[in-house]
Parts: sequence; structure tokens; C-alpha cells
Amino acid sequence: MDELWPRIKKRWRAWLRAVHRDFGYLAIGFTVIYAVSGIAQNHIEDWGEVSYKSYEQTKSIAAVADDAPDDVAIKAVADAAGLGTPTSSYRAGDEVRLEYANGAKATAIGSELTIQGRERRAFIGAANWLHTARNRHGWKYVADIYALLLLYLAISGIFMIKGKLGLKWRGALLISIGVSVPIAAVMLSGPDARAKRPEPATAAELQPP
Amino acid sequence: MSDSPDLDRYPELRRAVDRRNFIKSAAAGTALMAFGGALFRIAADDLTKQARAEKRGDGRQRLPPGQRVIEFLRPMGGQEGDGDVKTFKLKVHGLVKKPFEVDYAGLLKLPQVTKEADVHCVTGWTMLAGQWKGVQISKLAELAEMTGEARYVILEAAHGYTANVPLKEATMDNALITYRVNGKPFALQHGAPVRGLVPDLYFWKSSKWITGVKFVKDDAPGYWEVRGYHNHADPWKEERYG
Repeated sequence: MDELWPRIKKRWRAWLRAVHRDFGYLAIGFTVIYAVSGIAQNHIEDWGEVSYKSYEQTKSIAAVADDAPDDVAIKAVADAAGLGTPTSSYRAGDEVRLEYANGAKATAIGSELTIQGRERRAFIGAANWLHTARNRHGWKYVADIYALLLLYLAISGIFMIKGKLGLKWRGALLISIGVSVPIAAVMLSGPDARAKRPEPATAAELQPP
Repeated sequence: MSDSPDLDRYPELRRAVDRRNFIKSAAAGTALMAFGGALFRIAADDLTKQARAEKRGDGRQRLPPGQRVIEFLRPMGGQEGDGDVKTFKLKVHGLVKKPFEVDYAGLLKLPQVTKEADVHCVTGWTMLAGQWKGVQISKLAELAEMTGEARYVILEAAHGYTANVPLKEATMDNALITYRVNGKPFALQHGAPVRGLVPDLYFWKSSKWITGVKFVKDDAPGYWEVRGYHNHADPWKEERYG
């Protein structure tokens, strides 16, 4: 024991760095997935759901007569759509709907044909799927382990370097800046700040003076 | 012969200077991109300015606070239904004397309306003047003979999603069970084949992939309402979060 303590005292920072390095390697794949899908989620109001690339095309066609038999109506719409043989069809009211093996859908309403479909974006689609771990119990625990790795990386990073590049000067300054940003955000516009903001009591108060 | 002999003599100093230059360049690049993005967004937003200057029939500003106008519905994700008209069923139940269920063809045979309505997403976008076709929720209440006890409407959707709406707002003229916007069917990501529409509340209340309309006495906060979003969701009061 007497020999161990001086050894730990001398070597702890090297061990901490070695573990930090290896955890960092382990975390790379997860970090890329969570960062990319996190950016996509942050900007969902601008970009929408980016897991798919959707398309929609509208064509004018000869309107299907109300009294046309179903098979005639379906053939006319399928010919106009030009997507090959549909795998499924449905007719109701003024609509004729066709579905295709690749997921595309053609809907004729009167003299307008709308073709809709989408293609999955392989990487961001998978990243978004992984990021929303809710209801996926196995993956949820894998994601928890990654979160613990991140905690280790963050905390061990504080003690990796000694001297003025470490906690004494640069480290302390940058940690203060980093911590103050979320604290300021919560203080200025967090849930409690929002609760203190007076809400308009009536619709009339929303109008400019 | 180097222009900076001192740095050549002190490699550690050179590395520090290189790092400093890199950080400066990265910071400048990031600031430039952010500025350019902000400028692009401000310049491209004439529709929002125009909508802010307009008023609705009820005297409220057409564009609720904190919203900006976009031209098309934006897909916002969610656990999708199967989108299949063949298997679609809408169950009208709860505090009604004559509960019923209709398939897609049956829905199209009910009295139809087309209403112009703006919709407002809680994330900040608004789509103006959509022409929404469908059946009024008030008509469903009438057909099912809703009882006088009902105070709320629960819009039920695929995978157990629900949204609670006060009866007053759910039975307004423009609150629909809708299957078409601007003459086109909904794409799967927008709730195909049939979705709810309660345009005077934030758009999450307009359940996509709808499966049921339930009239209830007691309020029952839905999927987003129990996850921190506002129970009522009035866009003009910015009732975004609970």
C-alpha cells in the first residue's frame, strides 16, 4: 500500500489521459450520429423531417367519368401516371388511388393526377432513428452508456493538463464561459423566465396600439 | 529563409501561433456563415411581413406572435400510420348516443365542406390560406348525437397518439376531419389518408393519421400535452409549453 500511493500520485494523470483517449475512440461513432441528427432536430422548423426526400408531381389528365367501370378508371389513371403496373388500387367518390411497389402513390381527383412518394436518406435516416431511442429498450441502454462515456470525457478533460493551460488559467476561463452560456439561456429565456413574462389577457391586447 | 526566424527557432511557439491562427479563422468563418444565414432569412421573408400587416375577421392579427410564413406544409416527423385508404377506419365514439365507424368511402359520402384556414406549427412556421376539404367535427357530433355532457374532443391517431381539444374549438366551422389540402391528397408524412384540422390551435392538435374522434366530459391531456407542451395551445397567446 505504501508503494502504491506514490505510484498513483505520480501516474494518475497519465492513466486518466489514456482512458480519456480510449473512451474518445469508442465515442466517435456515437458522437457523429448524435451530432448530425441533433443538428437536424434543432433545425426541424427550417428543414422539416430530413430522414426522407419526398417528391410530389401534378399532371393534368382526362377526367375519369363517374360512370366508368372501376377497371377502366384504374387503367386510365395507371396509363396517365406512367409508373408501370400498380400493386393496389382503390376508388371512392371522385378519387382513384393507385399504389406501386416502390411506395409511390398516384391519386386522380377529377382531371388532376398527383404522384407522391419518398426515398429514405440512408445516413441521416438511420441517425435520426437511432437518436430517438424512446420506446426502443435495448438501444436506450446503449445510448445511456454513451452518455456516461461523454460524462467521463467531459470531467476527465478538466484534469488532463496541469499548469496555465489547465485548470489554473485557460481551463478555468473556458469552463466558466462554457457553463455560463446554458445558465444565461435558462435565466433569460428558460421556463421560469417565461412564466414571469405577462401573458396578454385578451386577444385585443395582441393588437398594436 | 523564413520571414519569421524566431518561430523557426522555437517550434513550440510556432505550434501555438498556428493553433491561434486556426482558431481565429474558424471563429471568423463561423461568424460569417451565421451572419449570411441570418441575412438570407430576413431578406427572404416578405410573406411574413405581409401576413403581420393583416388581420383576421375576429380582429386578431393574421400571423400569431413568433410565427413566420412558409409556402408548403413542412413534414415534422412522428410515428406514421400505414396511410392506406383501404384499411382506414374512423371511429366516432364517447359521449354519443349513436357511435359509428366509417371507412374512407363512407367518409367521402358524409356532408363535405372546403374551408380556407391558416395553420400554425409550434416550432414557428405558419402556412396560410390552405383549402382544406373534409367533414366538420361538429357534423360528426351531430350524426353521432353527442350528449350534453361532452366538454372535450380527443382526436385519436395511429399508435395511440392523442390530442385533446376543448369542445368549443373542436366544433368550430373550420375544425375538420380532412383528407385533402389545396385539391391534393395528403402525403404520408402529412397524415395520409385522413388527419384532423383544428386551425386555431397549434398544429400538433390536428392529429395526423387519425383513427378516432372521441367526445369526453373530462379533459385528458394527449401525447404532447403530457410531455411539456401546453394543454390548450392557443397560438395568439403563444401557449407553446405547459
